[in-house]
Amino acid sequence: MQAELEMNQEQDIQFKQMKKKKSKKRLDSWLLLLPALSIFLFFFLLPLVFLFITSFKNFDAATGIGHDWTLQNYAKFITDQFYLGVLWRTVKIALITTLAAVVISYPVAYQITKVRGRMKNYLTLLVLSPLLISMVIRCYGWVILLSNNGVVNNALMKLGLIDKPLTLLYTEFSVVIGMVHVLFPYMVLSIMGSLERIDPSIIRASQNLGAGPIRTFFSVILPLTLPGIFAGSVMVFSLAVSSFVTPAILGGPQVKVMSFLTYEQVSTILNWPFGSAIGFLLIFIATITIIIYSKLLTKSEKGVAIQ
Amino acid sequence: MSYLCLENVVKTFNKTEVVKKMNLEIKKGELVSFLGPSGCGKTTTLNMIAGFLDVDGGSIVVDGKPVHLLPPNKREMGMVFQNYALFPHMTVFDNVAYGLKLRKVPKSEINQRVLEALEMVRLSGYEKRYPKELSGGQQQRVSLARALVIKPKVLLLDEPLSNLDAKLRQEMREEIVDIQKKVGITTIFVTHDQEEALAISDRIAVMYEGRIEQVDTPVAIYNHPQTDFVSRFIGEVNQIQGHVVETFSGNQCKVSFDGYHQVLSCPGTKDTLIDFYLRPEKIQIYQEHSEGLRVRVERKMFLGAKTRYILQLKDQQFIADISNTVLNPDQIIEGQDVLAVWNPEELLATKK
Repeated sequence: MQAELEMNQEQDIQFKQMKKKKSKKRLDSWLLLLPALSIFLFFFLLPLVFLFITSFKNFDAATGIGHDWTLQNYAKFITDQFYLGVLWRTVKIALITTLAAVVISYPVAYQITKVRGRMKNYLTLLVLSPLLISMVIRCYGWVILLSNNGVVNNALMKLGLIDKPLTLLYTEFSVVIGMVHVLFPYMVLSIMGSLERIDPSIIRASQNLGAGPIRTFFSVILPLTLPGIFAGSVMVFSLAVSSFVTPAILGGPQVKVMSFLTYEQVSTILNWPFGSAIGFLLIFIATITIIIYSKLLTKSEKGVAIQ
Repeated sequence: MSYLCLENVVKTFNKTEVVKKMNLEIKKGELVSFLGPSGCGKTTTLNMIAGFLDVDGGSIVVDGKPVHLLPPNKREMGMVFQNYALFPHMTVFDNVAYGLKLRKVPKSEINQRVLEALEMVRLSGYEKRYPKELSGGQQQRVSLARALVIKPKVLLLDEPLSNLDAKLRQEMREEIVDIQKKVGITTIFVTHDQEEALAISDRIAVMYEGRIEQVDTPVAIYNHPQTDFVSRFIGEVNQIQGHVVETFSGNQCKVSFDGYHQVLSCPGTKDTLIDFYLRPEKIQIYQEHSEGLRVRVERKMFLGAKTRYILQLKDQQFIADISNTVLNPDQIIEGQDVLAVWNPEELLATKK
């Protein structure tokens, strides 16, 4: 009994030493990040700081940005039902887009990882194809499909399913469709990555212990791909919440989103401080949403293992 | 009465038969090793028994019931994988409890059985750890507990020790045999390590190119190999050619090994050449002896308890492993001539 305990302890110690060595190496790898980090600092973080400062300045009709400090820009946004409505709609569209992308992408990613050889490359290319077409052209493609005498409405009327055209275009629905179309490749790639990292013998072990395919999926595969789902969701959500072209073409003025508001303030009304405040609020809300989302995803899976 | 039966089991990949009409009967509680070089079909056979691969012919029967058409989750087999295959997102406790939860075992019983299983593999107190916080040996023991806790009909071990270092591998293999005997579970152990197979098995099935060459106890496999492949694969052998000088009644021949005459039982005809195998540890060397095969000591290698002598006969080399308590290696000088002697009964006739 004593000998076993010692053996276990010895193995523990060896294991901890191994871990220590690893953390030492991590320091060197920071140097490798330096080029990327400096670009990030100068072209992203610095402008963000200016944006933040501008958002606390008053609006001057003559010069745009005034000289006085004020909280007026934020107060204006928070107290106005219209602006709050736009914020809510933006987040809602982004969330629905993200969820739809997860649901649509998971089976696709799952299937692609099952296929071997050349077929896999073709399927991956097919998934990436939306990214190869210009955003504007792709959106007008959807306009042709969804407009009142577009392909979808005409087909439905011909079939006698509806009498007058459905309002498909210039709705939140059409915006979500357009966004899912362009953003789902990110989700597929991200989920594929985490599916491929699962050791096939882990799935066999689950079957061997008595789990059928469905149980194995929910108990083993899905939990192990949560990191991939999360990474994909962060990408899709942040791209969706800040997208401009797709809501502008497929939503129009009826479906105003935050990026459109910002654009209006900065380019048309030339109220840069208010535009900055809207932009900053968007970043703030998006970050909060991502944090809550990650908490929800990992709550049930303490110590989610990324193998 | 055999418990696990493989009857004419066939597996084909891309029109190549990787398992050819395999037949094997395993008794209840027996530990049988599948031993063979990589690509011999041993893992494929194990995967067919576990249900991860379909059989392309024949049947697999466990406890009187055919199982080869059942999906893996209905076969009641416990498997231990080469790379442990623990669920990385579950604690040690949840890993072991997984199979019991699926069987709808009451919670209190799950708790008790998991703790018992962990105690059996000497990992009590590790319940709350995650697999990545365990060493390889500990992970493999969790894997063993997870397979055994469901009380499977058959335990399947797929090269379970090959990822461990040498010292731990020896400890683990003793532990596995201890537990296997204690539980009394019918076990198949796949390995390519012959020492491992010889050490732990009740019987060994030596496999080569998709078929079983010989199934026998470790002692019988080593001392009485039935095929050429088994002779060469298990242990080390010297190949030596003898010339039949005289034949007697009852399959007795007088054979000359370059002038070293021995009478042994083998089916030979006069004036033919016969190949024999001879294990290195069966050869003795003497500086002076009444008879023997005259050879030159090319090299000697001190290996601790024994010394290995490389012996040269014309253009042929032999190895002889001699215990240092029998022969002090200092007495032999490289380059000197010695007499190699062996008991004729130790010669293994080749099967062509």
